[in-house]
Amino acid sequence: MTRVRVTAPRSASRSLADSSAEPRESAEDSAVGQVFVRSLIRSQLRLALVVAGGFLLILGAFPLLLAATPGLAQTRIAGIPFDWLLLGAGIYPVTGISAWLYIRSAARNEARYRDLAGGK
Amino acid sequence: MNPAVGIAAVAAVSVATAVIGFYGLRISRTTGDFYVASRTVPPWWNASAIGGEYLSAASFLGVAGLILLSGTDALWYPVGYTAGYLMLLLFVAAPLRRSGAYTIPDFTEARLDSRAVRRVTSLAVVMVGWLYIVPQLHGAALTIRTTTGLPSWAGSTAVVVVVCLTVVAGGMRSITFVQAFQFWLKLTALAVPLIFILLVLAEDGAPALAAVATNPGGAAPASPYQSISLLVALLFGTLGLPHVLVRFYTNPDGHSARRTTLIVLGLLSVFYLFPTAYGLAGRLFAPDLARAGQADALVLLLPGRLVGGPAGDLLSALVVAGAFAAFLSTTSGLVVSLAGVISQDVLGGSVRGFRVAALVSIIVPLGLALMTDSLALAGSVGLVFAFTASTICPVLLLGIWWRGLTDVGAIAGMVTGGLLCGGAMVAGTVLGMAGTPPWLAQPAAWSVPAAFTVMVLTSRATSSRVPRTITRVMTRLHTPERPLVTER
Repeated sequence: MTRVRVTAPRSASRSLADSSAEPRESAEDSAVGQVFVRSLIRSQLRLALVVAGGFLLILGAFPLLLAATPGLAQTRIAGIPFDWLLLGAGIYPVTGISAWLYIRSAARNEARYRDLAGGK
Repeated sequence: MNPAVGIAAVAAVSVATAVIGFYGLRISRTTGDFYVASRTVPPWWNASAIGGEYLSAASFLGVAGLILLSGTDALWYPVGYTAGYLMLLLFVAAPLRRSGAYTIPDFTEARLDSRAVRRVTSLAVVMVGWLYIVPQLHGAALTIRTTTGLPSWAGSTAVVVVVCLTVVAGGMRSITFVQAFQFWLKLTALAVPLIFILLVLAEDGAPALAAVATNPGGAAPASPYQSISLLVALLFGTLGLPHVLVRFYTNPDGHSARRTTLIVLGLLSVFYLFPTAYGLAGRLFAPDLARAGQADALVLLLPGRLVGGPAGDLLSALVVAGAFAAFLSTTSGLVVSLAGVISQDVLGGSVRGFRVAALVSIIVPLGLALMTDSLALAGSVGLVFAFTASTICPVLLLGIWWRGLTDVGAIAGMVTGGLLCGGAMVAGTVLGMAGTPPWLAQPAAWSVPAAFTVMVLTSRATSSRVPRTITRVMTRLHTPERPLVTER
């Protein structure tokens, strides 16, 4: 058995900028392809901003709700004060649902791009 | 607590970690294995590993301690740690995976076509890593001191030795197995004692929850500014953490990077219920810890106090084991990513260089940890997030989403954010906890916007320097990989 000397792949610049063996080169080279790419990036960014904005609104609404409704924070559910339940457990499902919705929509955006770029 | 129990728990976790690490050694042969586990790790393994790496001393000990001290104000920490992952998913996960870069400096160099940007990013990554390892070692010192009575340095040194052995021996492949194992260990170590505590409490009758609202240590309630600034730090800081980002390269493609992140979010959501429950229980049954300045030890001491007897000893051993898993996993994750950066930039990228770099990346924070002492683990980790959010986060976000970013702009923004946030951290240390005004204690709310603004304005002013490769790079970052094409 021969010993093979291994070195770190200085891969980043090569893999990002060099597209010779890339399946995506048609999109890079044609003007039409670039229109599709720009539209994909725009729709992905819009999607991310909408989901982030919606999540932050809900996040901000929680303490406002507690501050605006006197007595709500001290309401007990199964012995635990409501503010603890809301901030300590209630936010996590919101996070998970936001993430799930985002992934679905992002994959749909990509599928649409694939159809356009592949079908021209 | 019986000192032998603590020592046995620490020894068991260390041995288990080392054994899994050495087992991994046999399958890591190439440099690719060393850095990113060859991108063949299944999503559940990978998600557990990400969770294991992310849940540090701050999450395991610090969150419960801070909840004990400041009640619902501290609940923003676990919320922010989790929501930060949502931001990571929305803005970074898939494009970064598609970039094909191994480290953050690889990414910025390729995106901006500039060696200088690479060097500045590397510097920021190394500083974040070092700052983040220090609280882990503080946590280890605290755990060893509280549970065995041994001097503090023994805990920090034990973590350093085990991490060196596993990282130097196996690289990322073994780390992935170790981290995944440690996530589930951490979850078990919090969940099982809590179940016993609840059983004991149910027998003794329902506790009076009247005292929950008052802070036992007399901590002042947080102002809205502090909560918002903390959230800014945690939301934007997570997506720049070097040890978290490197994990995304272990996914086969962009879509699976997103799926992995979704699983991680689920795992984190379940995990953080437990420190919250410990904090709440601590406010009821162990408020004296807050007054004694031992809040961070709450998780370690609560099971022994409430359950007692040999069962209490066993549960304490489990918690100590979980805590040590937290220190080991976060530290080793950080060391791997730091070593990756240092070895590529300084030592030429060989496997030998990686090992030397791993030693360098852990000796410096060990020195820092031995010279300083921790105040509040969750707080000091929160500041590291603020630093990351002010330096690495802007260059990642703008680099991924804005074509106009230039190398000069990126450097100006990172330097601005680093100086502002770093300056606030130094000033906070000099002035001490009591003398620091809130805007200086939580700098993220102004240092992060400042970094973004400088980065955008400078890029606008130097718009002729936008790299020629921009079209190609943006296409690569955002277009889906073709199905059935296997990448190398």
